[in-house]
Amino acid sequence: MLRRLALVAVPLTLLVATSNNQVEVSATPQPVEVIPLPCFPAGKLTLGMTNTGRKPAIADMRVSGDPALTLSRHQFSSYLPVDQLVKAPLEITVPRDTAPATHTVNLTVGNEHVDVPVVIKPVPARDNVLLGEQAVASSTNGNMRLCGGVDGNTDSAQWGAGGWHDNTKGVFPDTYGVDFVQPTTIDRVVLQTLDSTTYPAAVMGIREFDLQVRTGSTWTTVAEVRGNVQGRVTITFEPRAVDAVQLVIHDSNDHGYSRIVELEAYHN
Amino acid sequence: MVTRRSFLTATGAAAALAMTGNLPDLVDAAGIPHRTDKRPLFTLGVASGDPLPDAVVIWTRLAPGPLEPFGGMDDRTVNVEWEVAEDQTFRRVVRRGTAHARAEYAHAVHVDVRGLRPWRHYFYRFRAAGQISPVGRTRTAPAPSDEPVVTMAVASCQAFYDGFYTAYQDVVRREHDVVLFLGDYIYEVGVGPTAGVRNQAVPVDFAGEIFTLDEYRARYALHKTDPDLQAAHAAAPWIVTLDDHEVEGNWAGYVSEDGIPHDDFLVRRANGFRAYWEHMPLRLDQSPDGPSIRLHRHLRYGRTADLSVLDTRQFRDDQTSTGGWLPPDAVSTDPARTITGDAQERWLLDTLGSSTSRWNVVAQQVAMAQLDRKTGPELELPMDTWNGYAASRDRVLSGARDQDVSNFVVLTGDLHRSVASDLRVNFADPSTPAIGTEFVTTSISSGKDGVDADATGHALLAENPHVKYQNVQRGYLSCRLDRTAWTSEFRIVDRVVTPGGTASTRATLVVEDGLPGTHLA
Repeated sequence: MLRRLALVAVPLTLLVATSNNQVEVSATPQPVEVIPLPCFPAGKLTLGMTNTGRKPAIADMRVSGDPALTLSRHQFSSYLPVDQLVKAPLEITVPRDTAPATHTVNLTVGNEHVDVPVVIKPVPARDNVLLGEQAVASSTNGNMRLCGGVDGNTDSAQWGAGGWHDNTKGVFPDTYGVDFVQPTTIDRVVLQTLDSTTYPAAVMGIREFDLQVRTGSTWTTVAEVRGNVQGRVTITFEPRAVDAVQLVIHDSNDHGYSRIVELEAYHN
Repeated sequence: MVTRRSFLTATGAAAALAMTGNLPDLVDAAGIPHRTDKRPLFTLGVASGDPLPDAVVIWTRLAPGPLEPFGGMDDRTVNVEWEVAEDQTFRRVVRRGTAHARAEYAHAVHVDVRGLRPWRHYFYRFRAAGQISPVGRTRTAPAPSDEPVVTMAVASCQAFYDGFYTAYQDVVRREHDVVLFLGDYIYEVGVGPTAGVRNQAVPVDFAGEIFTLDEYRARYALHKTDPDLQAAHAAAPWIVTLDDHEVEGNWAGYVSEDGIPHDDFLVRRANGFRAYWEHMPLRLDQSPDGPSIRLHRHLRYGRTADLSVLDTRQFRDDQTSTGGWLPPDAVSTDPARTITGDAQERWLLDTLGSSTSRWNVVAQQVAMAQLDRKTGPELELPMDTWNGYAASRDRVLSGARDQDVSNFVVLTGDLHRSVASDLRVNFADPSTPAIGTEFVTTSISSGKDGVDADATGHALLAENPHVKYQNVQRGYLSCRLDRTAWTSEFRIVDRVVTPGGTASTRATLVVEDGLPGTHLA
């Protein structure tokens, strides 16, 4: 009985032709520069594979780097048509205050290896003292980045990539701010809430909020803003050295989310 | 008699391993142990699919680190033994062999097991590196001349972050002969660090939209770690097709919804198709050739049912405007317009026309019945569905009518709502006869808990005389096909945003044999 039933069983993967591995690896820019601040935009490298063979192929790139580097991906696999550059992004970050140095990211496809230099830059002098510092929020929506409100991108049109909002729709207050690593003197805070042609501030922006600063463990309210319909709100005050700054947001014009494109602080 | 013991002393590499009495490492195709990762390999479960009277595809994937790069595997090929038995304890093994899990297929294994007997339950399992997979149960299709009662579960749309897959517990409990999955197995958009309502830590790599093959593979792995989904795959064979989110929301043919250039989009499509095939229990016939995949296919359940599985994404014209709910326009009513492509349309009508089965089932993605949600004489229709391809729908429905297709039943997903409709060639004239029935299954989880009826639901019932039922909660469709009737139970779960929801039948709709159209039981 068993012999009669024992007909052909086809292990499917055996029947598929193996791909060739003539793949050219590329990466731009070289070197890639990284600023060692927690919320500064990551060093961005565009990885590329080009199939120089005669048939389309599936290729796997292994991505590795010095232990000092945090990489957004360790694998880049793709279908590769012939002679078409196929790209994928790699983001590189390092811990705060990593010493300036040159590190390496290694890209391997089959026998092909490329070493990409990664230059850790000194922390730049900044007028906006919130830029790239560690953001702290009551919550962050899954589609947004915690760092989106202090990443230097003030363009409401790029809201999805460069902004922040909370994850508690219709529930207030929400908080968003920065904890400084050392006391920092500020006398002006600028809020850019969502304000684009599609999503004007009067419809989608933050409406009511308190600006608070912390010294030691004491929070002090510096300003209260109510009924705001503007995209950009500037608050000035007497200079003071603070350990943290935050907005306590009580409402937005759609009563849904608290949307921050960028939060900035300065000392003249 | 093949015994369980003989599985452990099978030929080749496995025999070599068995003799050592110690099975610690993976073994490559040359029989050489090569890694010391002792973590479980079968983290993504097992599956079976596309049953024939004498065959079924069985599937697994080795992934000791399912959410890690390369699933935690290195790039070497691994021997995977498999066996198929008539009993759960594997005393009566009827087929076995060794397959190769290869890195270029993400170490997925598809075996098209032939030589089986019709309409039989079988049990299957895999072994690699001394680890034995969970046992799956499957069922072959009936013999061509038989007409048994067939039960099928119909499911779609399982956004990971929107809910738990509680509905699958009910799918398993009710013991269906086959599960049809009609698309949106994964979603290409980001999964946040806590996986939405699941409150489950997910690596930050999952936060973005997916484009590359490694990203699509990882997204399937994430979904397939769900124990309810694994249990549903292990309980019955699945017959699957994809919709938009397996590639990109609302993609259409060569056109990206995100405005990605043509050449780049075809690479993305190829990556999506490749990962889909790798993770689904599909035959080699369905394996993609780059950006092309043959998913439309014909499966028979004896004389009970003919099943035409469609692909309404790959060959369609682009949506009119945004593809949202809109009034018909010059584009959506263009007579040259197609949602299936000409070749698939001809194939479908030929298949329907040559069928001798009692129930003629089309398993596909998007709503076919006219669904007007605007109060009054004007129409507002979902343009991503057949409603946005009116001429295509006319050709299929009038083709089915002209060929006198018996008991024409269309099964649909996509909408995240349950809808039951009569199908007629002219929806504007309720006095014309129904020529068939459409059952739209709701989502497994997409859209979170939902409600019994929303504004659109009320409007659908009010504006469309052919719509007999609607509901906007989560669940699936549990169907029973016999000689006298098709019975569809709309199973819903009371909640999915937390585990432990309860399943119940919200409504039962019936199609009587020989009487097109449906009504509440």
